[in-house]
This record gives sequence, C-alpha cells and structure tokens, in this order.
Amino acid sequence: MRLALGLYFALIVAFLILPLLFLVPISLTESQFLEFPPQTLSLRWYAAFFEDPTWVSAALLSFRVGIGATLLSLVAGTLASIALVRAEFPGRSLLNAIFIAPLILPTVVLALALYIVFLRWRLVDNVWALTVAHAIVAMPYVVLLVSANLRRFDVTIERAARVLGAGPVRAFMLVTLPFLTPSLFAAGVLAFFASFDELIITLFVSGGAQTLPVRIWNDLGLKLDPTVPAVAVMLTAVSIVGMGIGETIRRRNERRYQSETSTET
Amino acid sequence: MNLTRPAILLLLLPALLLVGLVFLLPIAGVLSLSVHGEAGFTLEPLRELFGSKVALLVLERTFTLALSVTAICLALGYPAALFMSGLSSRARAWVTYLILLPFWISILIRTYTWIVILGREGIVNRGLAAVGAEPLQILYTDVAVRIGMVQILLPIVILACLASMLDIDRDLVKAARVLGASRWAAFRKVFLPLSLSGVATGGIICFILCLGFYVTPALLGGRRSTIIANLIDIQVHRTLNWGFAAVLASALLVSTLACLGIFRLLTRRRAGFAAAGFGK
Repeated sequence: MRLALGLYFALIVAFLILPLLFLVPISLTESQFLEFPPQTLSLRWYAAFFEDPTWVSAALLSFRVGIGATLLSLVAGTLASIALVRAEFPGRSLLNAIFIAPLILPTVVLALALYIVFLRWRLVDNVWALTVAHAIVAMPYVVLLVSANLRRFDVTIERAARVLGAGPVRAFMLVTLPFLTPSLFAAGVLAFFASFDELIITLFVSGGAQTLPVRIWNDLGLKLDPTVPAVAVMLTAVSIVGMGIGETIRRRNERRYQSETSTET
Repeated sequence: MNLTRPAILLLLLPALLLVGLVFLLPIAGVLSLSVHGEAGFTLEPLRELFGSKVALLVLERTFTLALSVTAICLALGYPAALFMSGLSSRARAWVTYLILLPFWISILIRTYTWIVILGREGIVNRGLAAVGAEPLQILYTDVAVRIGMVQILLPIVILACLASMLDIDRDLVKAARVLGASRWAAFRKVFLPLSLSGVATGGIICFILCLGFYVTPALLGGRRSTIIANLIDIQVHRTLNWGFAAVLASALLVSTLACLGIFRLLTRRRAGFAAAGFGK
C-alpha cells in the first residue's frame, strides 16, 4: 500500500516537473525548429536572444517594472502590515481581505478595469502606471508574509528598547526591522516574480510596450522557433536561484531566532 | 504597543492609496459600467448578457471546465497529500520543495511546454510514431487545456489537502484501529471526514482560480475552448464592445465572490460544529 502510494506520488511529481526538463535539450538545438531530441547541440538560440534588441529591451523593461513594483509594494505592504497586526480598529479584517484580494480575484477583471481608467487618465503606455499596476498584484505577497512574521515577533523586545529610551521609530528600526529583514527579502523576491511574470494586465494597459512575458506571448502567435525555450530555461534558472536565496535566508534566520529563544528559556 | 489613530492612518495610507486608486476604483468602474448606460441606470447590458447565446455558452463552458479541472485536481491531489502526510517532517519538507518548484516558473512557460510535448510534431507524437501508432490530436483541444490547468493548479490542491491532514490527531485513527476497525474503515470513518476541510479549501480555491484562467485556454485550446476571460479579451481588443466586456467581467467577479461567500459560510458552520463538540 505504502509502496503503491509512493510510486503514485513519483508519477505526480514527474507530471509536475518533467515537462519543464524537456525544455533544456530543446533549447540547445542547432535547428530552426523545435526538435527533440536535438540532432546537434549549440547555444545558437541563447545567442539569438541577446542579439535581438526586442528581446533585450523587453527583458530590461521587465526588470525595471519589476524592481519598481517590488519597492512600491514592499513599502506600502510592510507599513500596512504593521497597522494590521499591531492595532485594533474597525474594518481591520475587511481591509486585510481587500489587500489580499488581488491574489484570488480573476486578473482579467482587474486588467479590463485598469485599462478603462488608464484610458480615461491617459496612462496607457506609461511605464510608471504599469509599475503601479504591477505593485497591486505584488502587494498581497508582502502583506501575507510580513504580517505572518510580525505576528510571531515578541513585542516585549521592542518594548524593552522603548523603556531604555528609544523613540517608537528608532526602536522599530533597530529592533523589529532586523528581525523582519529575511521575511522582507522573501516577500521582495515573491513580489518581484509576481510582477516579472505578469502578462494579462500588461497586455491590456501597456499599449505597445513589451515586457518579457508579452514578448514571449507575441512570439508564440507568430512562430515556434527555439528562442522561447532558451528564454524559458534562463528564466527558470533565475527563478530557482531567487527561490534558493530566499529560502536559505529564511532558514538561517529561523535557526538564529530559534536558538536565541531556546537559550532564553 | 498602542498605536495612535493618526499613526495607524499614516501607516495604512500608502497601501490604501494604492488599493483605492488602482484596485477598488477601477473595479467599481467596471461594475457600474455594466449597469449604467448613457441615460443613467439601465439593465440593458444585463439583458444583452442573458440574450447572447455566445455569452451563455461561454459561461456554461467556463463552469464545466472549472468543475472538471477541480474534480481531477482533487482526485489526483488527495492521494498525493496522503502520501506526504505519512512522511517524516524532514522528508516532507524536501518533497514540498519538489511540489512547489513549478510554482516558481511562469505560467506562460509552463503552458508553453505542453505545446512542445503535445503538438503534432511534439514529443508524445514522435514517441507514438516510433512505435508505429497513429498520431494523436491533443493540442488545441479541451483535453490539452485540462492537462495544462491541472498541472498548474495541482500543487495548490495537494498543499491544501496536506495542511488539513497534518492537523488530524493521529491518535484518533489509532483509537479506531484498537477498537477493531480495519485499516480501510479507520481511514474512511475517521481520517477521511477529518481531512475534508482541506479538500473543501483546496477545491474552492482551485475552482475560483479556474474561472479566471486566460493563458492556458488561449494557448492550448482550440476555437471551442474560449472561456470567459478570453471572451472579455476578444470583446475589448477585437469587437471593441466595452459595455459587454464589462458585463462579462462583472459576471466573473460576482461568481468568484459568490464562491468565496459560500466557502466562508461553510467553514464558519464547520467551526461552529467543532466548537459545539464532536458527535453532536
């Protein structure tokens, strides 16, 4: 029974991961077409990405919007989390739900809604407006992660700093912020990828500007050459590295704070 | 740590501005556009929705697709979660990474891989040709859409089921066994009912996310796989019928909120049931 379940589980994991592994050999082909297995190996399509200015500028735009949206959502989300966790006020749980709502409501509804108001405000094809729109998609991750971590923070430590003469802002900066840093980093990574992967809103409100997902999307409609698999492999590598760094920091921090509390007791 | 009122407001201000201006206001705009004509309040767009054969067909298709994908995810995900719940916590952490790995990869790319695998010249058909079988037309059918969506949503369902399984007090299962229940009976009468809250959570989240899918049906489906999000896109970018797009979007939004509402009602009743004590 256990063995059967184990085998079944291996199949499920294969179903989830294997398709992605096929991309690696396909991206390494010499041929013009998608072929598997490739006849001759080459990095031709990786070079093609860097030689095509439309791909490069799409990647740069994605980074620019992603970094902006990350910073914006980190600041707004963290400040809001402090209020949500530490204060009692009417409508708090409703507000919490609204901050998280963009994660679960259909993106296409928000895309249409933003398109309509951006047209009215003449903000279509505006990089800053796109960045703000992405920040909305990224902020739920910040609110979820940071408030979860704030809830676990022992407020007496900050209170001790206050008793010893630090002002509220100073106490927060020197005591609470260092505790939050790893979760801020993890939230930042999640927020960045939320923006970096965003397609639908960008398709609606970016006018003609192409982020990386939009560039891939447009390419899929035209032809199926191996540039897209090459981009996919590079993006996947970036994602896995990002996830790895975030996870390592989170774990190290968890260990540090756990050992500190255990020596306390 | 008592925050004063102005301090609370100041802390919330950036997020409130962000959410208010680029989330609540635009969404309210879409909702009002669907009940507002040139001469004020009107139900004309709604009438158009219920009068449109295409819209009703697409709505029905969206719901059947969401239902079937959710059912497949639960059927595939529950046993997988069951396996994970039996692992040591260290092994389970590693396996969770494996399950979550695809989560970090863009939906666009995950969908794209299925074009490569299921296409006419794709890996599956090459394999079939190598053994002399007829090629299969999978890509650009509803089957491909379901495969693609299940692959994207399965991790969420597995983790939701797993969360409720880990909350179960294993001693209850042991007690049933000691009292003479067979393994199967102990599972069916004790473990399964206690894990149903995770099944409900995973199922509802999966269903809601299905309703809003856009990329997968557009890339993997045929002309008959258009679901509501694709229809909204077509109304905006090709037919330029915004009023109709707004009604469709409102219908999608209301369906999503209704699902969430039902879910909250169910979980609250469950919580009340649990608080009232077992076996009553």
